[in-house]
Amino acid sequence: MTSPPEHAVDALTPWPDTVAWRPVSPKLITVELITRVVWVVVLLAALAVGWALWPYWLWPAGMAVVVAYAIWRSFVTVRAVRAWGYAERDQDLLVKHGLLIRRLSIVPYARMQFVDVTAGPLERAFGLATVQLHTAAAASDAKVPGLPPGEASRLRDRLTALGEDRAEGL
Amino acid sequence: MTGLPASPEAPGSPEAPGPPANGAVEEPRRRLHPLSPVLHGAKSIAVVVAALSWQTLSQVGLERFALVVAVLALGVVVFSLINWLTTGYHVVGRELRISDGLLWRRNRAIPLERLQAVELRRPLLAQLTGLAELRLEVVGGSKTEAPLAYLTVRDAAALRERLLALAGRTPSVELRPDAGPQVAAPSLEQPLLRVSNRDLVISQLLTPQAFLLPVGVAFVVMQFVIEAQWSFIGIASTVTAMAGVLLQPARRILQDWDFRLARDPGGRLVVRFGLLETRSQVVPLHRVQSVGITWPLLWRAQKWLHLRLDIAGYAGEPGSDSKRSDRLLPVGDVTTARQLVWDVLPGVDLLTLATSPPPARARWLHPFALRYLGAGLTPEVFVSRWGLLTREMSVVPYARLQSVRVVQGPLQRLLGLATVYADTAGGRSGQARDRDLAEAWALAEQLALRARHARATFSQP
Repeated sequence: MTSPPEHAVDALTPWPDTVAWRPVSPKLITVELITRVVWVVVLLAALAVGWALWPYWLWPAGMAVVVAYAIWRSFVTVRAVRAWGYAERDQDLLVKHGLLIRRLSIVPYARMQFVDVTAGPLERAFGLATVQLHTAAAASDAKVPGLPPGEASRLRDRLTALGEDRAEGL
Repeated sequence: MTGLPASPEAPGSPEAPGPPANGAVEEPRRRLHPLSPVLHGAKSIAVVVAALSWQTLSQVGLERFALVVAVLALGVVVFSLINWLTTGYHVVGRELRISDGLLWRRNRAIPLERLQAVELRRPLLAQLTGLAELRLEVVGGSKTEAPLAYLTVRDAAALRERLLALAGRTPSVELRPDAGPQVAAPSLEQPLLRVSNRDLVISQLLTPQAFLLPVGVAFVVMQFVIEAQWSFIGIASTVTAMAGVLLQPARRILQDWDFRLARDPGGRLVVRFGLLETRSQVVPLHRVQSVGITWPLLWRAQKWLHLRLDIAGYAGEPGSDSKRSDRLLPVGDVTTARQLVWDVLPGVDLLTLATSPPPARARWLHPFALRYLGAGLTPEVFVSRWGLLTREMSVVPYARLQSVRVVQGPLQRLLGLATVYADTAGGRSGQARDRDLAEAWALAEQLALRARHARATFSQP
């Protein structure tokens, strides 16, 4: 590039790996798996009804496909949840996620418009919450799921406090 | 309307409100112009007629059609009248408050520090009656917030000037000697550019749609020759349908007619254009989120290009690409564009924006267009370009960056590549596609760093 970065960048350990990443709670795996199990059960039930009404070999084949896909996705989920990570630097929030398509977002606190803290019923049952940082750009995604409520409110308060010093529109 | 937030009862005459920061002078709610319901009604009738279509006309006959239209028109006018009676606006402190609705009363407070641009639109009917519609673009609004339709041109211009003065960033208001509301002074504007209508017409004839027009005409003629069916209804509906699809160049010509750019005394950009519906848009320069440059394939013989101005707030308007007022230069040559870019983004020279291509192994992803991909960092802006047939370039000032993203898809992972996005509030992101992974990380770091520096210098001038 036109000018070298501040510190040396190695192709094998680029700087995002030198940042202190914080993982999301492993309980998110359970939540995701339960959600998936519910969907699989619903799908299987629908396919079973179909099989009972019109006996044909495609129905059980479909069921097998659904189960196989669910098992594969479950393995992926475990790794995907472990791939989520966020890091608070002094000026910006870093969020990384994704396995197939890997994404890293750098969102400066000064650009924050508002912070969302959400928790669905299942997430609440496991004591988790999702914090999402919104900027004026629709494209920026800084969403951190699977945070314990204490950590979620700490993050929210910190983000709000850091974002407050610039109340100017844009 | 009594539930105002606790505001000091600052003494002051309503004609000359005090400084914007502390002056919360209660001013009376004002109504829109009395002719507004009539104009709204006329507009709705046009929509109704279009919705009923030629097909209905042929089925029910002219008299009943007229009756239906008349009844609907009456309803629309009554509705508009009620709407007019209940709509009011006033400025309180640094907010514009608009209340409307009869059954569902709605009060909106629009914080003026979030104002991005103000546009004065004058459709044909409004031009005939000397009225104008004032549209405010506010960031975060999913669509144009609070179109005030209609005001007299004088009122609208004065209100616009006042809103922009209030919206001015606090430091610049203090720096300006004549801070506060001022009367619009068009004579003091410094003209920057005028696009010749001849160039505009030629440029729109050099579009794919214009090339398709003869094909469409030939198709219609063929159809009539074969079917030998010369009913008025048939011709009318076919022509209407064709006009909708193929006459986009004509619409562009009407919209961009007599395109003028000027700089007003406050250093803001004033854009005026339009034939049937004239628009005049005022954009403070620090609201420019990014500039897009397009070289369409068919314009290359003329060495023409198109400049686009991205402002936060317009991004949300779905679909209606031609309806958006985002033109900085509908058509022009490189010299003009260079001057204009320099005016809008000081310190940015269009001709010296160097970009570097992605590594050669990215040709697996872009077999043909690799040569035209590129990204680069200059002291002020992030530049990226792409496109084989229609070449495009996007220029994003660091001070306007909202966030930076690095995305790596599965194919990119195989090749060790990644794409860096520089998101702006204008909706379009600058993107450095398929860079080497290490370079992508460095680029992201640089973008974040430079954006931080730009913000720091920007907020403390």
